[in-house]
Amino acid sequence: MKFLRVEKERYFFHLAHREKALLEFLMRLYPVIPSAHQTLSKSSTPDESQKLLNEALAEQRRENKQLVDKLLNDDRRFQETTKGIEMNLSAGEIEWVLQVLNDVRVGNWILLGSPEEHPRFDPEAADAPYVVAMGLASNFQMDLLDAIKHQ
Amino acid sequence: MANTAVPEVRPDIEHDEKAKPESAKDPGYVVICWNDPVNLMDYVTHVFQTVFAWQRPKAEFHMKQVHNLGKSVLVRESLEKAEHYVHQLQKYSLHATMERDE
Repeated sequence: MKFLRVEKERYFFHLAHREKALLEFLMRLYPVIPSAHQTLSKSSTPDESQKLLNEALAEQRRENKQLVDKLLNDDRRFQETTKGIEMNLSAGEIEWVLQVLNDVRVGNWILLGSPEEHPRFDPEAADAPYVVAMGLASNFQMDLLDAIKHQ
Repeated sequence: MANTAVPEVRPDIEHDEKAKPESAKDPGYVVICWNDPVNLMDYVTHVFQTVFAWQRPKAEFHMKQVHNLGKSVLVRESLEKAEHYVHQLQKYSLHATMERDE
C-alpha cells in the first residue's frame, strides 16, 4: 500500500489487487481480542466500573464491525485504476481502521500465547497464520501512520 | 451521577460540580500505560497524541518511558476522567489501567 495524496480532506492510497484482498481479509477477522480481556485497574477488584468499561468496549466493537462491513462494501472507497486500486479514507476513518488493525495484531499475539519475543515464522507450524496476520496488520498500520504523520 | 437535579435552582456548572461526590472530583487517580511486546512504537505515540491532544515530542517521551521503564504515568485525574482516558486507550488496544495515586 502506498500513500498518494490528500484531497478534500481525504487520504488516497494505492493498493495492488492482492494488497486490497489482504487488507479485506485482515479487517474481516475483527474482532480478535477476547471480550473482557482489558481490565480497568491492576490493583482493585472488578466492580461496577469494570462492568461499564466492558460494556463500552463491547459497544465499540459492534460499531467498528459495522463500519468495517460498510467500508468494505462501499465501491466509492475502492476505485479501479490502470495500476490497481485507489482507496480513500477520511482522517476519522483512518483512526478506526487503525483500531481494527491493532485489534487483529494484538489479538493474534494473544492467540500465540502473548510471547515476550516476536514470534518466529515457521510455515509448517500450526500457529503460522497468527504470525502472518500480526505482520500484515503492522505493515498496513505503518503505512496509515506514515500518511497522517506527514500531513 | 446522582442527586444533581434540585427543583427551583437553575442548574449550572458550578452547581453540578458541587453535587458530585468528593471521590469523583479528587484528582487522585493515575492513568498508566504498561509495556507490551506487541504494540508498535509509532502507533503508541500516535494514540497518545490523539487521546490527550499532545504534541509529538511529549507523546514520544511517554512512549519511550513505556518502552524503557515498563510503564508510564500519563495523567493524574479524577475518577471519572481517569476512567474515560483508560477507555479511550483501550479502544486502541493499548495496555492501560487506572490506579489510586498513593
